[in-house]
Amino acid sequence: MLVQQLINGLTLGSVYALIALGYTMVYGIIELINFAHGEIYMLGAYMGIISFSFLTTLHLTSPTSGVTFLIMMIVAVLFCGACGVTMERVAYRPLRGASRLSPLISALGVSIFLQNFVMLAQGPRDKGFPHLFSGGGIDFPGGRISAIQIFIMATSVIMMVGLQLLVHGTKIGKAMRATAQDKQMASLVGIDVDRVISVTFLIGSALAAVAGVMVGMYYGLINFFIGYIAGIKAFTAAVLGGIGNIPGAMLGGLLLGLIEALGAGYISSEYKDVFAFAILVVVLIFRPSGLLGKDISGRV
Amino acid sequence: MPTPRPSIALIQRPFPRIILTSLWFGLLSLPLMMELKAPFFGLERPLLVSAGVAVASLLRLAVSQRGGLGAERFQRLMGAIAGAGRDLLGRMNRRVLYVVVLASAVVIPLGLNRYHIDILTQVGIYVMLALGLNIVVGLAGLLDLGYVAFYAVGAYTYGLLSTRVGLSFWEVLPLGGLLAAIFGVLLGIPVLRLRGDYLAIVTLGFGEMIRITLNNWDSVTRGPNGILGIARPRMLGFTFSTPIEYYYLILAIVLLTIFVVDRLNRSRIGRAWTAMRDDEVAAEAMGINLMKTKLLAFGLGATWAGFAGVFFAGKMTFISPESFTFFESVIILCMVVLGGMGSVPGVILGASMLVILPEIMRQFALYRMLIFGGAMVVMMVLRPQGLIASSRRGIALGPKDRQGPASAAVTSLQTG
Amino acid sequence: MISGWRIWCVMAGAIVVLALGQAHAASAIKIGVAGPFTGDQGAIGEQGKNGAIIAVEEWNAKGGVLGKKIEVVWGDDQHDPKQAVAVANKFLNEGVAGVIGHYNSSCSIPASTIYHDGKVVQISWGSTNPQLTDRGLWNVFRTIGRDDQQGSVAAAFIAKKLKKTKVVVLHDKTTAGQGQADEVVKALDKDKIKPVYYGAITQGEKDYRPVLTAVKQKNPEALYYGGYYPEAILLTKQMRELGMKAVFVSSDGVWQQEYIDIAGKAAEGAFITFTPDQTKIKEAQGVIKKHKEKFGSDVGAYTVYSYVAANMLLDAIAATKSTDGPKLANHIRKTKWKTALGPIQFDKKGDVLVSPFVVWEVRDGKFVEVR
Repeated sequence: MLVQQLINGLTLGSVYALIALGYTMVYGIIELINFAHGEIYMLGAYMGIISFSFLTTLHLTSPTSGVTFLIMMIVAVLFCGACGVTMERVAYRPLRGASRLSPLISALGVSIFLQNFVMLAQGPRDKGFPHLFSGGGIDFPGGRISAIQIFIMATSVIMMVGLQLLVHGTKIGKAMRATAQDKQMASLVGIDVDRVISVTFLIGSALAAVAGVMVGMYYGLINFFIGYIAGIKAFTAAVLGGIGNIPGAMLGGLLLGLIEALGAGYISSEYKDVFAFAILVVVLIFRPSGLLGKDISGRV
Repeated sequence: MPTPRPSIALIQRPFPRIILTSLWFGLLSLPLMMELKAPFFGLERPLLVSAGVAVASLLRLAVSQRGGLGAERFQRLMGAIAGAGRDLLGRMNRRVLYVVVLASAVVIPLGLNRYHIDILTQVGIYVMLALGLNIVVGLAGLLDLGYVAFYAVGAYTYGLLSTRVGLSFWEVLPLGGLLAAIFGVLLGIPVLRLRGDYLAIVTLGFGEMIRITLNNWDSVTRGPNGILGIARPRMLGFTFSTPIEYYYLILAIVLLTIFVVDRLNRSRIGRAWTAMRDDEVAAEAMGINLMKTKLLAFGLGATWAGFAGVFFAGKMTFISPESFTFFESVIILCMVVLGGMGSVPGVILGASMLVILPEIMRQFALYRMLIFGGAMVVMMVLRPQGLIASSRRGIALGPKDRQGPASAAVTSLQTG
Repeated sequence: MISGWRIWCVMAGAIVVLALGQAHAASAIKIGVAGPFTGDQGAIGEQGKNGAIIAVEEWNAKGGVLGKKIEVVWGDDQHDPKQAVAVANKFLNEGVAGVIGHYNSSCSIPASTIYHDGKVVQISWGSTNPQLTDRGLWNVFRTIGRDDQQGSVAAAFIAKKLKKTKVVVLHDKTTAGQGQADEVVKALDKDKIKPVYYGAITQGEKDYRPVLTAVKQKNPEALYYGGYYPEAILLTKQMRELGMKAVFVSSDGVWQQEYIDIAGKAAEGAFITFTPDQTKIKEAQGVIKKHKEKFGSDVGAYTVYSYVAANMLLDAIAATKSTDGPKLANHIRKTKWKTALGPIQFDKKGDVLVSPFVVWEVRDGKFVEVR
């Protein structure tokens, strides 16, 4: 059973990681816990299913082709990216000078707004998602890994590697790191801080969109409320790894997935969240800035 | 700065900007609202959204200070009303103002129906909760996202002690507060070294842990079924049972709370809290014991939630884990921030608004929460410091001037 | 940025306008309908809403009741007990003749005290916690069966018909779900069957593979789930994906076409307890047809409970020619009802005397009653 639980956990964790990345990137740049990020992920899931229905109902592409899937991803990424950037412009940019809590409340407002907007536009019932990768998988003594689980883990790894390359290998990545370090200095040396922040939101939202589409396919069922729970989990993961730290978010996500899977499997399914939070507290006691965060116990 | 390109210059002119913005939002809502089977593919709905955005932007333009249609006349009108209001209040003695407010609080409910009185009672409960959280967040600057846990502790303490042991409301009231305070300190201990948003997630986790335990520990808490048959408060043979009786009870408790909290704010510990909030390192350098100060904040802040919980259980006579969700913590936090952190009248106002507004909006049925979310964003954007900003050092600035997650984020984003 | 005082004025104005906007039709009979219409249980609330809407429209088409139109006052409690209390007070304020609601037991219970104070009849369309009626309040009824009633049917089926002895019992940690699961455990015990695994899942989550993997270790032959259809869909699918062959058994919250549609092939061979075939009940034809016409979808598990409750209330008003609470309650309790759920009679506490549940099987993409 252990191997199977590990597979379960890593798959779950990959999804958490993708969402956590968005949280951590935005936090690193403007120190905001973007509570509405979970809703971006939810929107990604909806865009996946909406574009799928659109394509298949109008018989533009076949339900099982790779082209369909590619279009779903692109549509979701574009849409969520646009939403993320708009969200930043409307709800967060005006609050940049204010206390840390004001944008937080604004984010909560955005979150409530988006949840209810989708509920009204798409209906409160769960929406079924077609299986593009049904069946298929590899059986082995310890358990079974399905095609889509492999797919999710692979996609997450590719995305994370891509993100690292972007942040460390490109000009815009450098601009992002500079802005995260010191906004004022960055603008003084000519970096368009507003643009960098928008790009950060864009990328974070794109990652969440990918997670949303994949989750839709993996579980087959979505509703307007999935962003809420996933958001809390991903935020936990980001903090576990050290908020503001990109590899930390990946690590935190995977770890959280594993903790949940092992906790539910071996200890108790009811208390698994308690278990996860308890581990978080223990980790933070010994490493107050998360697993990969730098120690900031504040000794001057 | 380089001369803006013509397209940008165009965007900066108001009307083209409004048109573009409306089209943009319409475009964004298109995929979600479109429906292949509907008459016009449902395209009229995003158009409605565009129209709505256009109208809102036009309104905003008209009201803003930078001119627009009739802005000046509108400004002058508003200014006159505001000025008159300020004059009136300014001329009144502070004390007279308090007496007037108090008298209204006592007398007005006599003429209201049970629905309104019940809402006012709820306002009372949330004022207590918000004042308690204000100590933690507003004064001490500790971002607590799990405050509802202490509320639950108070409520379940009374629920259990009343149904199983038969203790009365007044006997449990101090116990509820004490137990909540203990839990507050218990939460405070592991988070002493944590900064800002790490603290937030742990407190969030704590709140969730309490709720999950309440929901699953069937033998003690009866899980999702909740606890029924909690005794109503009694005093000298008289049982509180009608809405107005509960209202006066909470009014009395709230007045006491306001008095104590206000004293706390002005006391040495209150100043220690704000000093700690503004700059931990400097505060410590001045001789403030950070550990003690933080634990006191958590503990004392939690106490009020405990009292509120006991009252809540006595009013509802039935409690279940569903009343103590993360969302409740969030709403209480909103009350504190919206009202203006650190300021007692602000927090009271915030609590009132966030209880009363959703009730007034019930007539909008399904759109109620949508409007609520939007209103939250609008209110923060229009007035980030809250409605009544604290008189003491207005805004609690972020942790930029002290070692905090920012620096950590910096170095780690750099080296990866 | 706009200065503070202007904000105050605009807001105060808005509040006044909103508060004033509460006009109603002068002479109409009002009934209150309550449930979680928004929020994460909005899908369930929608069912209660639709059932009531159809009933009221039917009556209004026939001229209303007592010569007046029927007006519904909606009460959205968002499955939050304190909002349920506010809604209850609001209903009393508006002078409703009766209340159809709430859905969640945690909402119905505190609200019932208020309705009792105000001498208003309450018929719940979804609360299953026994405590609701155990207190013996004269004004409380429910058209849905109690937790305990379905479980025994499922347990007997598993033990005697399917002859499975290695049974896993899961629930969603809600009053209804856990109640059903506990009842199944009790009933299985009578046949000397003890579940090899008993546990809960969290509503709203998606991934139950960890729990199912642990369950799979016990090689179960049957899995009983007490809960609602979204989780049931996920459980069923994930069970099959993990290669589990156990029979899936569940209760009325899962008896939804969506379960079959979305779970697809994985749902084949599942057994769900539910009321007998409504298409064979005369009184149900109307609501089934009208629901399809008006809302474009099939009735949900709770739609009919709400429809029946609304009809009972309106019928009582018409029959007693009054809106007096005690009279209505008396009428409701004494009448032998013929409803879309079958024949119903209430006991002294307000529970349905005999709640008939039968077993349905998912066969070839449809629900088929098992004989």
